Amino acid sequence: MKSPSSSSANRPFASKLGHGFGRRNFLRGLGATIALPALETFLPRLTAAQLAEAAAAGAVTASGAPLRLAFFQFANGTHPAKWFPTGENREFALNETMEALAGIKHKIQILGGLALEPATAGPDGAGDHGRAGGSFLTGVRVKKTQGADFHSGISIDQVIAQQVGHVTPFKSLEISCDTLRTAGDCDSGYACVYQHNMAWSSPTAPVAPEVNPRFLFERLFGSGSPAERKQNLLMRQQQQRSILDYVANESRSIGRELAAAAKDGRGSGGLSRRDQEKLDQYLTSVRDIEQRIERAEKSVADRPTPAMDTPAGIPTSFSEYIRLNMDMLHLAFQTDNTRIATFLLAGEGSNRDFAEIGIPDGHHYCTHHGNKPDLVAKTCVIDKWYATQFSYFLDKMEKTKDVDGKSLLDNSMILYGCGNADGNRHTHANLPIILAGGGGGALDAGRYVKHEPAPLTNLYLSLADRMGAKGIERFGDSTGRLANL
Amino acid sequence: MSQLRTSHPWLVASVVASATALLMGSGCGQTASLPAGAPAAKAVMAAPQPSSREHPAVAQFHKSVQPILEARCYECHGDGSKKGGIAFDALTSKGIAQDPQLWLKVLKNTRSHIMPPLDADNPLTTAERAALEGWITTSAFGLDPAQPDPGRVTVHRLNRVEYKNTIRDLMGVHFETNSAFPDDDSGYGFDNIADVLNMSPLLMEKYLAAAHTVVEKAVPKVTLTPAVQIADVGDFKYADGTATEGKLIRGSGLGAAGIPAIPLTFAKEAAISHVFDVKQAGDYRLVIEQNIRGDFTYVPQRAQLTVTVDGGQVSQRDYGWSANRHTEEVHAVHWEPGNHAIGFAITPLPSDPLPRGGQDVVYNLKKVRLEGPLDPARWVHPPNYTRFFTRAAVPADPAQRRAYAKEVLGAFATKAFRRPATSESVEPLVDIAEKYSVTTPGATFEAGIGQAMMAVLASPRFLYRVEKPALTPGATLASVAPVDEHSLASRLSYFLWSTMPDDELLKLAAAGQLRANLGVQVKRMLADPRSAELVEHFTGQWLQSRLVTSVPLNPREILQREGITVNAGRGGGGGNVSDALRTAFKEETEKYFEHVVREDRSVDEFLTSDYTFLNETLASSYKIEGVKGPELRKVTLAAGDPRGGMLTMGSVLMITSNPTRTSPVKRGKWILDNILDAPTPPPPPDIPALEEAKPKDATHVPTLRETMAVHREDALCASCHNRMDPLGLALENFNALGQWRTEEYSQKIDPSGQLATGETFTDIRDLKRILAANHKTEFYRCLTEKLLIYALGRGTEYYDVPAVDKIVANLEKNHGKFSTLLMGVIESVPFQQQRLFPHPVPDAAKPAPRFTQTNPAP
Repeated sequence: MKSPSSSSANRPFASKLGHGFGRRNFLRGLGATIALPALETFLPRLTAAQLAEAAAAGAVTASGAPLRLAFFQFANGTHPAKWFPTGENREFALNETMEALAGIKHKIQILGGLALEPATAGPDGAGDHGRAGGSFLTGVRVKKTQGADFHSGISIDQVIAQQVGHVTPFKSLEISCDTLRTAGDCDSGYACVYQHNMAWSSPTAPVAPEVNPRFLFERLFGSGSPAERKQNLLMRQQQQRSILDYVANESRSIGRELAAAAKDGRGSGGLSRRDQEKLDQYLTSVRDIEQRIERAEKSVADRPTPAMDTPAGIPTSFSEYIRLNMDMLHLAFQTDNTRIATFLLAGEGSNRDFAEIGIPDGHHYCTHHGNKPDLVAKTCVIDKWYATQFSYFLDKMEKTKDVDGKSLLDNSMILYGCGNADGNRHTHANLPIILAGGGGGALDAGRYVKHEPAPLTNLYLSLADRMGAKGIERFGDSTGRLANL
Repeated sequence: MSQLRTSHPWLVASVVASATALLMGSGCGQTASLPAGAPAAKAVMAAPQPSSREHPAVAQFHKSVQPILEARCYECHGDGSKKGGIAFDALTSKGIAQDPQLWLKVLKNTRSHIMPPLDADNPLTTAERAALEGWITTSAFGLDPAQPDPGRVTVHRLNRVEYKNTIRDLMGVHFETNSAFPDDDSGYGFDNIADVLNMSPLLMEKYLAAAHTVVEKAVPKVTLTPAVQIADVGDFKYADGTATEGKLIRGSGLGAAGIPAIPLTFAKEAAISHVFDVKQAGDYRLVIEQNIRGDFTYVPQRAQLTVTVDGGQVSQRDYGWSANRHTEEVHAVHWEPGNHAIGFAITPLPSDPLPRGGQDVVYNLKKVRLEGPLDPARWVHPPNYTRFFTRAAVPADPAQRRAYAKEVLGAFATKAFRRPATSESVEPLVDIAEKYSVTTPGATFEAGIGQAMMAVLASPRFLYRVEKPALTPGATLASVAPVDEHSLASRLSYFLWSTMPDDELLKLAAAGQLRANLGVQVKRMLADPRSAELVEHFTGQWLQSRLVTSVPLNPREILQREGITVNAGRGGGGGNVSDALRTAFKEETEKYFEHVVREDRSVDEFLTSDYTFLNETLASSYKIEGVKGPELRKVTLAAGDPRGGMLTMGSVLMITSNPTRTSPVKRGKWILDNILDAPTPPPPPDIPALEEAKPKDATHVPTLRETMAVHREDALCASCHNRMDPLGLALENFNALGQWRTEEYSQKIDPSGQLATGETFTDIRDLKRILAANHKTEFYRCLTEKLLIYALGRGTEYYDVPAVDKIVANLEKNHGKFSTLLMGVIESVPFQQQRLFPHPVPDAAKPAPRFTQTNPAP
């Protein structure tokens, strides 16, 4: 194996422009990198034995390349009549609001017939957005509450990450482009936490997503100039370990102090269950970082670091913002920093205005169009706009070559969808779901498959199988595996 | 304000029996949900003794409550009727005596006059109301007035504001948490609720990074260093004596925000200078930090830059185009005490003209640093040194060094943890410091201390507020205790200042004297500028007025409804409301609240008054004459002016609007939720669009009021909309930008209406008068609960009803004086005490060999 720096041709991120240019050019710089050979330099061709070992660890394709899984969530459903394709199976035509995906049509599947029962009103009344947000990746009916005692389920990405995430420095990556968070409940008595978090590591622990592309970049590659990043990252990690040891002990001793008070026979402070939960949350977070540092220390020396400028922050244009975060995810996949990701385009129920494309009204407002033509038209423009952002990511993945010569997209499973089907009527059957990518040969793309009505979670189980997660019998409201993918 | 509610104003028609919906609603803070800690606590606090004898609450119920329910409620909730799933004649003894959540809802509904409904045949008499409420608050809740239940605040993570302020007070540096940390989740309308403030690996990572950044910025790494004077933007003057203006330069290695510099373009002659005032004679070093910055494309421009010191030239350089070049230039000088000038002059050099579209190259002066005197004998401690380090020199002897490290870190950790740090906490810190300064090449003693401080800032004892009870040694088993003095100090400081306790509070707590001096301390704390935090964060969240800076609004669409055409360019291009106006609206609300706080006025003035706070921008938006300039000041309103009070403030009117129009439903709901303590439940599912209710006549465009009348045609919708809509429609004279109007779409606006409690009103002025005259109690209760939630950082529960009632009664006695409210909250049982848990503990927390008692340090 060549060392990453042995020749400039093999440095995937070498930029001829150096670092004397601004963010405007940073975007251009990213564009330039995708044409360069990607991962050969640090992912060696594997021997048969290594291949078997990698396969056992999970998240690999048949050829031994990394297999990536990402979930993109958009908000407020769609206007289904203009979204779902016409035709069926391989003979299908993209509808109006999915036009942007025409160029990549052969690499995507549109899956009809999937449903999210836990998002329906059931006994809980109003709050379809809160529920749909909370149940999209968890498949459970979330507890209707404004805050203190929110309760969801563990999300599928986290289930998979807990099994196979250890193969990369980051078990999973959580990204969001929704920086707006309102106070109080966000939807008819549902806590905001359901709409702003896709990933849940436990029913009471949402995994907060990163919203700032700059911080995403620094998490992945370290801070400072391109030349300093790797060293900064390593040094920081070593210092962090001694700090982490200390704070883990402190958290245990707080628990002991409070608990001991209760046992000293006089009945005193004591530890409530909630206190214990908070301390556990803290300790779990600390352990998670410790483990990641261990993993990173093993591999960081071999990993390339992009020669580009760190992104400046959150762009004001929503489109530019989404794309920059997509660039970060693309980089994370390309450099094999993670194989599992969630990407929140906008929190369920989002009422963001789309003035930048000439729609002053809020998205959520438009989706409740009551079949008024002007609002329907606006809804469609927004549906189309989101699909266009998604196509940007897919195109980028498709244009990047992976270690085995295929495209990154070929070795990925990228889900794009929403827990609301028809935004106007709050339906949760026949959800808008796109599954892009070849899954390393495990997915048969280029089709519109009208599945028999089935829980969305059945699809998740099938994806989990392909990621090499084992022993998951059921997930959420699943009734089995989804065949014909 | 919920985003989702934006959908419902025109999507309304209830299909569920109103009582279900009503019972789903949560109180003005009091929620229906039971916190996880509560069941266990109930066993301690309110456990009915298992016995064959009937529970006294049940006997009392049958004797004095059941007859009232039978007469007034059975029509819908008894005799076979079970609206909302509630039948009072089907309650078991358990339901009567051990279901405080049920009775809390009943109490809320009767107190806010939701039940029995106005049109019911059998309204409650005053005596019946008193009897029912009396039984609920004493018997049904199972509360012992002699030993009130203070509830329990969970271990409390600092939120973003608290973290930022605490770092400022502890470390003496500013750290911007809004960009560094993810948003805090909120509950009960506030973002300081312990139960919902979570931790995640991502956040923990950010805390570690923040600790690093803060320590690097705040903690010096050396004992002594040459003194430094810095001259930058603003210090330098142009040749004509005016102060220089800065510009941010952005780009590689400059951080997200860029750095300020004085730009001198290659195209024009210019000169700037600064005078240093030097106290001591000696050798000095002048370090010039500069940058040459051209556009991405090369241009053939050239210029000459001359640097002078005290009038004499020290360097002259020719510069050409460069995309972005940072350099430093150093000059050694020997100066006597007195004034010494440094000057920069730029002169364009003859060069080819710029190509089309070419941009001028700029010389940017970032700053000039004057270091010295350089003689080590004259060196000084670096800035911030004495904040952390107590001795002039670091001992050379290793054992003494260690003792000094312990001294420094012990004092620091005690401040950071907001209570005495035990040696179990401090010894490992000393180890970290020692290890770092020994093993890291070039690391000083101070750098090692800094490393340990990072550990302190990442410690749960810093990041969380951990409260402990004040225990009397040898006392018998108890279920409640006062929080200890250090916990009380933190409760006060985070409530009133959103930051850590200051030295005076910590000193009093250590001496066990804080509780004894509560009144004096609260007065002192309110007078301190840090109390602005209470004003900003409480007001902004209680009224949601802080959302005004981000709520999407489209003036063009809004004003078009009044026949006003907005040209591009006006009101921020017609597409948005300017930031200046939004900020002014937010400040109006804060100033108003602050006025009531500082002048100790009556909280009644939140409902109505004859004044408000305006600057020129606001006054012109309100069409009030005679207010000039950017400063907000108190303005007395003309008689009959509809402003005055929170209801008619621009901030409130805007955040309760949709992007293109008003929303009477949202506005009505806002009043019920935040003023009247009568929150409405969310609308039921599967509601048809309001538009589907077709106008009777195809040629008639219905007014909003007519459209909304549909709400009241359906009895099920009416149960809530009868309460919301009239309140909201009374505000229709204010458009979505909060401006007064009399017409929409050329139709006259009719703001009159009737309250669900029966009173009729003609317009908003009349409505405000009625609210202030007849509904003060509800308002007091609402405000008290909101403030208590904010003060405690937890939602209020049924066991808090006695504490709230007591404060409300005092408010009524004292005409709503703000100090009555504030001291009432601070002196309340839930603020002063905590529930104890003499229960087995989960295995995860094995008891320590010994427990360090947290009695005040001597």
